[in-house]
Amino acid sequence: MIKFNSTRFGELSVPEDKIITFKEGIPGFPYAKRYVLLDYKDTVLKWLQSVDDPDLAFIVTESSNIDPKYQIIVHNSVKEYLEVDNEESLVVLLILRIHDGKVIANFNGPLIINADKMLGAQVIVESI
Amino acid sequence: MLVLSRKKGEKIRINDNIIIEILEVNGGIVKIGFTAPQQIKIYRDELYLKIVEENMMAKAVKKEEIDAILRELKKDDKV
Repeated sequence: MIKFNSTRFGELSVPEDKIITFKEGIPGFPYAKRYVLLDYKDTVLKWLQSVDDPDLAFIVTESSNIDPKYQIIVHNSVKEYLEVDNEESLVVLLILRIHDGKVIANFNGPLIINADKMLGAQVIVESI
Repeated sequence: MLVLSRKKGEKIRINDNIIIEILEVNGGIVKIGFTAPQQIKIYRDELYLKIVEENMMAKAVKKEEIDAILRELKKDDKV
């Protein structure tokens, strides 16, 4: 078990195999390399909570919950980076926020997670 | 910052395996070609900064905003 502090949930303790590693962090937060996914109540939303920064957490959901047609091409370099053996283990999450009453999903910066290896990366999509 | 002048067709090499080539110069626009190993990430800087900015804004989501997100998604029949 790994114990860490979080601003929103207090002290958390999660099994080591629930830790998702972003080897280089994500743009803007390169220092935060380990995250956990926590359910947000009984909804399709999840918290992506940083293990390394108590204050750092994002609300995310699987891209299909926002747009079933949203598809991104995962380049070979990303597959290699995430050590993908089986493409079915890839999960695409979108970071959500709200502005002026409208949900804004970050379609240009999806999070790709290899659930087999618990490795993640935020990729930057040039255009969609 | 290192500053180099290059003409069309000329190249710049970074380390042993990254090559930047000036493909075309036309008015105020320069077309640049990159040859680099797969793991080298190359982005337009403004796009990279946009993702940084998005992440900064999304990080600060408050509880009442999450409920608003859920309401909006339900309204659109997405959940």
